[in-house]
Amino acid sequence: MSNANSSGTLTGSHYLDGDHACSEGAIAAGCRFAAGYPITPSTEVVERLAQRFPFVGGRFLQFEDELAASIALLGGAWGGAKACTVTSGPGFSLMMEHIGLAAITETPCVFFNVQRAGPSTGLPTQPAQGDMMQARFGSHGDYRLIALCPNSPQECFDLTVDAFNMAEEFRVPVLVMLDEVVGHMTEKVVIPDDAEIKVTERRWTKKPPGEFKLFAPAEGSLVPEMVKPGDGYRIHVTGLTHDERGYPKMTVPEHEKMQMRLWNKIVLNADKIVKYEAKDLDDAEVVVVSYGITSRIAERAMQQARAQGVKVGSFRLITAWPFPEKEILQLSKKVKAFVVPELNLGQMVLEVQRIVEGRTKVVPVPHVGGTVHDPQVITNAIVGAVR
Amino acid sequence: MSTNGQNVNTALPTYTKKDFESGVDPRWCPGCGDYSIINQVQRALPAVGVKRENIVFISGIGCSSRFPYYMNNYGMHTLHGRAPSFASGLKVSRPELQVWIVTGDGDALAIGGNHFIHAMRRNLDLKMLLFNNRIYGLTKGQVSPTSELGKKTKTTPHGSPDYPFNPPALALGAGATFVARTIDVEGAHMGGVLKAAAEHKGSTLVEVFQNCPVFNDGAYEFLTDKAVKADALLRMEQGKPLVFGKDGKKGIRFNPQSAELEVVTIGENGVTEKDILVHDAKREDPTIAFMLANLSMKPGFPTPIGVFRDVRMPTCEELTWQIIDGAKAKKPDASLEKLLAGGDTWTIG
Ligand SMILES: Cc1ncc(C[n+]2csc(CCOP(=O)(O)OP(=O)(O)O)c2C)c(N)n1
Ligand code: SF4
Ligand SMILES: [Mg+2]
Repeated sequence: MSNANSSGTLTGSHYLDGDHACSEGAIAAGCRFAAGYPITPSTEVVERLAQRFPFVGGRFLQFEDELAASIALLGGAWGGAKACTVTSGPGFSLMMEHIGLAAITETPCVFFNVQRAGPSTGLPTQPAQGDMMQARFGSHGDYRLIALCPNSPQECFDLTVDAFNMAEEFRVPVLVMLDEVVGHMTEKVVIPDDAEIKVTERRWTKKPPGEFKLFAPAEGSLVPEMVKPGDGYRIHVTGLTHDERGYPKMTVPEHEKMQMRLWNKIVLNADKIVKYEAKDLDDAEVVVVSYGITSRIAERAMQQARAQGVKVGSFRLITAWPFPEKEILQLSKKVKAFVVPELNLGQMVLEVQRIVEGRTKVVPVPHVGGTVHDPQVITNAIVGAVR
Repeated sequence: MSTNGQNVNTALPTYTKKDFESGVDPRWCPGCGDYSIINQVQRALPAVGVKRENIVFISGIGCSSRFPYYMNNYGMHTLHGRAPSFASGLKVSRPELQVWIVTGDGDALAIGGNHFIHAMRRNLDLKMLLFNNRIYGLTKGQVSPTSELGKKTKTTPHGSPDYPFNPPALALGAGATFVARTIDVEGAHMGGVLKAAAEHKGSTLVEVFQNCPVFNDGAYEFLTDKAVKADALLRMEQGKPLVFGKDGKKGIRFNPQSAELEVVTIGENGVTEKDILVHDAKREDPTIAFMLANLSMKPGFPTPIGVFRDVRMPTCEELTWQIIDGAKAKKPDASLEKLLAGGDTWTIG
């Protein structure tokens, strides 16, 4: 870890919306390439990058569609830049192809998805959290990536920095899954001094050409180092199953070796990756598992439920993927029920149910999206879960 | 299924403009050029000689693509950029329908660019109306593939670094058999172009210069402002010399030495009317049409409006059915049962 590049960071206290806070987080994290295609409610992220980049040595280009933007992103990353793209539902669907390519080629990169209600064109200007499973499983084949869910503009800034850092640390696509409300809400955002922002730089290899293997894990790690064009290395990068040099090797043992390392570099590092916010869990009989804007609504519901005498605690997902399995499993052994409100018809709740395996009650509080929950509905679910 | 589109005109009711209005009041911003376009389309359709239920409007996503809501036809508001592909599928399966595509500059040329060139190349009888406001309207003002170099928009706040497409030139390059351009405020001109487009059989592009008063106001003022338009607009008319200017004395000449088009003045330097290029949209070779299409990008030249190319070639749907008929003729008993039972089939024991 080194400190943030001092040239671009907007240190100070600001009123920013979540989208703009993401742009500032990207700049503070050292992102200097962005590719995009306009789509509501996410365009503000790239509009601000387009405005700011020339002054910090960054480049933004608007592409002809999200297929192009999301693969141009990989081009930028392999050119040596920290890179991101920004979209919402319909564009996210188009980007699936290149999320898969980023996963198999171990390209450090960040995708922002400011979720709106779907399916298809749906409600372009209204919130949802309906892409959570798509974030995990949307591209074909097995792969692992990291997905984060900010619940405020401040967290949009903070988690964007984390996203870029983890993209570099694990050579993996990281998804920042906002929702329309968080993207468009304006709150105070404190951006620290460069010296206080931890930034992970790309791990450039020190091995000489000849010795260096682009897909061989670095010592004591599951993650390989990188090189960039012009450094004197001959590399080969492919979407085919490949060996440690990056050359196509289409055999079952080679596929297994590659796949299991890609899988394990996330799964075995889950403790390092997973972040959550726990509140009032010590005496809790009911735990509300929530994320993004829904966690803000759930706070109100929990106050109401406590006022009615229900011992309720909160487990807020900051990392959605990998899912905090261990933590939920431990909780499931001591609480009476989980209540899972989300702006979809039941996605992350499936994960809670999978881990709880019927040990305790799991109460979904689904919502079709387009607006947020009425807190009373969540309160009723909390109270109903123990009465 | 009709294979030749001949039987659609039987007992055609007499329509008026009102018959093509859906009853939903169009909702574009006040002063948007889209209003005058829909007005002209609704005026033109009663005369095209096709039953209302056989006319289809397919759009992508954008302000322009809201069009089918307001038309009293079979309408489909599909996905961003995909209208040409959707329309192609429909046209091949139902050749008797008259299929119109409504799209914007971003929809057709950015995300839909690949679909656009292939739709033009195939020469399916699809009539595309491309509302070119040189901006992304619906998403509130970002650069589009037709925005000028250096253009400042929300995603190019310091100026656009890339060169624009010229839609008619692109369509001609891709093999479109009918290519035309008109302007939202030139109602009578648009009516004529729409009529010709409706009559054409084959891939059709009508570019409509459309003002977006909210995000790109005045993009075409240089062609619509009374004080300057005479010198800036070149009205192409079939069989007539390509002249323009206040007194009609300026003209376009083909210079055989440089192999370029040039602006000349009749009565100056020995130039007479005979030297002026006579417009012929029926030329099979699209080279001159391409040169004319490109004039709008060249400083010192007027912007042509009217029909660049109007050439009848067998359409993809005609060829599709010809091929099927030909195959059937070679194998006269190609019934489904025979096909299933004959040749490469076997019985599992
Ligand atoms: C896959 C996808 N990406 C982005 C969008 C957002 N979007 C809607 S319309 C549009 C561009 C509209 O511009 P144009 O085609 O020029 O039409 P106009 O609104 O100017 O008529 C965009 C980017 C979308 N609907 N789907
Ligand atoms: S934004 Fe522009 S193109 Fe869209 S409706 Fe308004 S004026 Fe018309
Ligand atoms: Mg447009």
